[in-house]
Amino acid sequence: MRLAWVELREFRNHAFTRINPVPNGLIVAVGPNGEGKTNLLEGMFFVFALASPRVSANAPVVRDGGDAAYARGEVETLGGRMLVEVEIPNRGASRVKLNRNPVRRKRDVRRQVRGVFFGPDDLDIVRGDASRRRRFLDEALVALWPLKETLLTTYDRVVRQRNRLLREWEGRGEPPALEAWDGELAQAGAAVMRARRDVVAAVAPSASEEFVALAGYALETTYGPNVGAVGGELEEAIRERLRERRADELARRTCLVGPHRDDVELAVRDLGARAFASHGEAWAAALCLRLGLAKAVEREIGEPPVLLVDDPFSALDPRRRDLVAERLARRGGQVVVSVADEADVPEAAHATWDVQAGRVAPRTGA
Amino acid sequence: MYEGPIQELIDELSRLPGIGPKSAQRLAFWLVKAPADDAKRLARAIVEAKERIAFCRECGNVAEGDLCRICRDPGRDVTTLCVVEEPKDAATIEKAGVVKGRYHILGGAISPLDGVGPEDLRVQELLDRVARDHVIEVILATNPNLEGNATAMYVAAMLTPFGVRVTRLASGLPVGGDLEYADEVTLSQALEGRREM
Ligand SMILES: [Zn+2]
Repeated sequence: MRLAWVELREFRNHAFTRINPVPNGLIVAVGPNGEGKTNLLEGMFFVFALASPRVSANAPVVRDGGDAAYARGEVETLGGRMLVEVEIPNRGASRVKLNRNPVRRKRDVRRQVRGVFFGPDDLDIVRGDASRRRRFLDEALVALWPLKETLLTTYDRVVRQRNRLLREWEGRGEPPALEAWDGELAQAGAAVMRARRDVVAAVAPSASEEFVALAGYALETTYGPNVGAVGGELEEAIRERLRERRADELARRTCLVGPHRDDVELAVRDLGARAFASHGEAWAAALCLRLGLAKAVEREIGEPPVLLVDDPFSALDPRRRDLVAERLARRGGQVVVSVADEADVPEAAHATWDVQAGRVAPRTGA
Repeated sequence: MYEGPIQELIDELSRLPGIGPKSAQRLAFWLVKAPADDAKRLARAIVEAKERIAFCRECGNVAEGDLCRICRDPGRDVTTLCVVEEPKDAATIEKAGVVKGRYHILGGAISPLDGVGPEDLRVQELLDRVARDHVIEVILATNPNLEGNATAMYVAAMLTPFGVRVTRLASGLPVGGDLEYADEVTLSQALEGRREM
């Protein structure tokens, strides 16, 4: 899968940027911080995910003083050429077109084109709280199996419904119909847990493989579901736990059972399992989780997704930096990496773009 | 903010479901500018609907009079009840022509986020009918979405003491959607393949 061209208009500091990336290999976008490298990668990601990897609201993406930002691009896939056009208004929902036809459901685009993004914020997957790891699992789920996003939205709605019921109940005992919502929570929750287990099973081995290449030892990624089912059925296990926590839930007026309380355990294994010793090691783990996800997506769809890697080198020592660069150049498919420092442009790069003041200039002869 | 009749009209319109202050303003100005006949026809239709259409005291569907057409029909089986959320759902199923029994309109689905609890639905009326008419089967045809499923589970639990057969429409319906989007073939298949709850 590769981006034949991409065009950003009124997108953060890019008034107008249009580029034709080389079809294969490592592309390096270089320029001082604040000049628009990350914005460029973010805009490219929009063509695949129809959303920003950095912010959930639209407004920050729109260039100062503008009403809307635009990201367009044409993606060549095994299934044909896909022209994706996204209009991102300051307020309200984005409008999306696929091959010039309006698209109502984002998943209709996301199942056709795939991109994977890594950015410095991903360090929180390793260092942050459990919610950040759950978000990674869910991002990975959508990247791997876009149609399964409905599992997440359904579950999210069950929890909001049930939380509202618990919060507003003033009577004695339990609110009427709580049992019915228990059933919905068990069903929707079990579906999310099974999907997340599949995500970890798909991503963990590839992530560890990437990590071994960098560190010489394994990365252990273990799904920690809020409710485990030993042999039995997951739905029934969730119902059982809900019964156990009934009094707590009524007192605290919130859902205490379900995958919204899942976690993922991350550790390295050299001699024994241990936590991450250094900033560089944690950074490498976060990067390898994204690279592992990209590999898992490739296995799923039969071609590599476009890989967008924002500022991967700054926290790595020179040896690991060279290793990462070399592996990115050799992995196949289109890989776009941003670096701030000219000295960080790897020798293995197939093309180099200079990014300055929201403008992108491909270097000739590089 | 405006003065006099126009503001009154805006206030009245903004009380309608799904109409925010902005839409109410737009509608009000449209009505004021529209030809007098158009506005009068709309006003008449509202008054007439309000005067002539009532709700069936049995099933809760719209009716001209005390009972709806289906509840008046002696040929319809009283021992099978098909429970739906809204009158439009009964109309959709009726078009597929597969239910020989009668309907029961709940008047919505349980949704705490919308402030709708079981006490806001016609559940007690359903239990009364089940007991009185010696109902044998209750088909729960609430929408195949989250709120519809939760409502079906709740109603099924309430029906347990009555020992009636309680069934739910088979899957195959567009999940997360509304009954009204299902075509007739899908709907009759869903009814034929209904399963015990
Ligand atoms: Zn009736």
